[in-house]
Amino acid sequence: MGLTQIAASILAALLVGAVTRGAWRTYSLLVLSVLAVYWFQPAIPLRSFDFWLPSLSLTLVILIWFITSQAGAWKSRQNLIGLSIIIGIATLIDLSRYIFSDPLLLATTPPQFIQYFIFIIIGTVIILALTRLSRTTAWTLSFSIILLLAILIVLKSPTLSLQTSIFFRTLAHRPIDNASALDLRWLGFSYIAFRLIHILRDKQLGRLPELTLPEFATYVVFFPSLSAGPIDRAERFAKDLQNEFILTQDETLLAGQSIVIGLFKKFVIADALAYIALNDALATQVHSTGWMWIHLYAYAFQIYFDFSGYTDIAIGIARLVGIKLPENFAAPYTKSNLTQFWNSWHMTLTQWIRSYFFNPFNRWIRGYKSIPSWTMILIGQLATMLLIGLWHGITFNFILWGAWHGLGLFLQNRWSDFAKTRFTTTNSRLQTAMQIGGILLTFHFVALGWVFFALSQPVLSLQVFMKLFGI
Amino acid sequence: MRKLLLILSIVLLANLLLTACGAASKTDAPAKAVETYLNALVAKDTNRLPTLVCSTWEQDALAELDSFQAVTARLDNVACAQSGTDGKNTLVKCTGNIVASYNNEDQKLDLSTRTYQVTQESGDWLVCGTR
Repeated sequence: MGLTQIAASILAALLVGAVTRGAWRTYSLLVLSVLAVYWFQPAIPLRSFDFWLPSLSLTLVILIWFITSQAGAWKSRQNLIGLSIIIGIATLIDLSRYIFSDPLLLATTPPQFIQYFIFIIIGTVIILALTRLSRTTAWTLSFSIILLLAILIVLKSPTLSLQTSIFFRTLAHRPIDNASALDLRWLGFSYIAFRLIHILRDKQLGRLPELTLPEFATYVVFFPSLSAGPIDRAERFAKDLQNEFILTQDETLLAGQSIVIGLFKKFVIADALAYIALNDALATQVHSTGWMWIHLYAYAFQIYFDFSGYTDIAIGIARLVGIKLPENFAAPYTKSNLTQFWNSWHMTLTQWIRSYFFNPFNRWIRGYKSIPSWTMILIGQLATMLLIGLWHGITFNFILWGAWHGLGLFLQNRWSDFAKTRFTTTNSRLQTAMQIGGILLTFHFVALGWVFFALSQPVLSLQVFMKLFGI
Repeated sequence: MRKLLLILSIVLLANLLLTACGAASKTDAPAKAVETYLNALVAKDTNRLPTLVCSTWEQDALAELDSFQAVTARLDNVACAQSGTDGKNTLVKCTGNIVASYNNEDQKLDLSTRTYQVTQESGDWLVCGTR
């Protein structure tokens, strides 16, 4: 989100928070969120893809609502209004090509009506087929999860993204020499997919509350958290939507405070640090150990202020409309061990991974009695952190970053077990010294891990490590 | 089912009406396509530019964009108008300049020396070359 989009989001949220009540608030938020899905999508070199990708996001939302809701739920007034809002806005945006000389909300011209209409017909046929089938059978839910994961894998893998771009370019008779893995920048899909998988898993486990289409769609594509999270839980989000909300002066001040802090973190601190933060060019050009540490520290703080700044802005804007999004960061660089760091860094992602991967995986692996417990811990930590690494991108460097943290968590776990019976002290000065030592050690471990995260190649990362340690 | 079909019918009808009305009012579309192309060029927008040109002209367009990478570029009093046709191409001529600034030194590229060839593909007017 750029400054213009943030400013427009604040104004729209203020208006909705101040004027609308009850169901009207939900409908207004749905309208804003659907508009944001199109507006926030950046331009893509493939013609009309900045229309098709948001449209596919909304189609997935509708389809998954259909298969997770009760039979016939779509016939209710609220759900028909929700369906009309989503289809109506997509249609108006497509029609804008015939009315305005410049595209409305999109970076490029939307597709011709006939293409859009075929898309709508295909979507409708699939939905009608689903209404005839038994929709909540295990295979439909499992297939949807696999479909979302498959799309995520394609988008996160540079090789598969490139091949997909080549495929679409060939289909459109465009030169394939210009194809790039960056051609498929599907805004917010990582977050949309994780929210939808959470819904599908909770449906499989029988703990998903019934949501109307407007509630469901607003939750998945909620405009403040569309591009950078946090990943809320559907039942918590829906409760906020259903609660009566009046925008008070106190609430506005709290929201404003969060937005101002977020803007300062992102656009002042993070953007300033970006000039000296570690990157591929600096990794090759800088040879001094001291400067390399400065670039690494700059990167560590830049990524924190950038991400937590966006989160603060999202939390502030959401607060204006009565939605209390969860915190994503709790002073992570002040934690004295790696477990605490991961409990305070990108908290909503780690909670998601814990709920839907780490805990089920641990339960499964504990079934194998012959595996020693330290091996189970190692496998569990490593697999979880590798998954978090792969969520950021399917590259060697993200795998190395995940492995770095997985091994770090394992070592810290073993050390804690070993130390708790041997190194206990009541001396407060010693406790403080150990606390400070723990903070410094944890921060430097995390900062060194950013070497893999910030750079594109393992070889470059190795060179930076050598320079950092004067080798 | 009936309600769903009703929504679809309304969407279809609205589309048909707007398509018909919109098509009639877009006589300056080829000239507008060139202006949009020039704007994307000086903005060095590598994502938008390929969507505004024919596939045969995509490499040339990106090469032209590359030539502005080291400078600050802007449009100065640019206006385009259709000047004729050439087979399946519509010809567009522009007045005004692209101003390329480097180190506070301006260099003007006169656009009136070029004629842009514009073609309609899948309903969109695309820049397909110059002469």
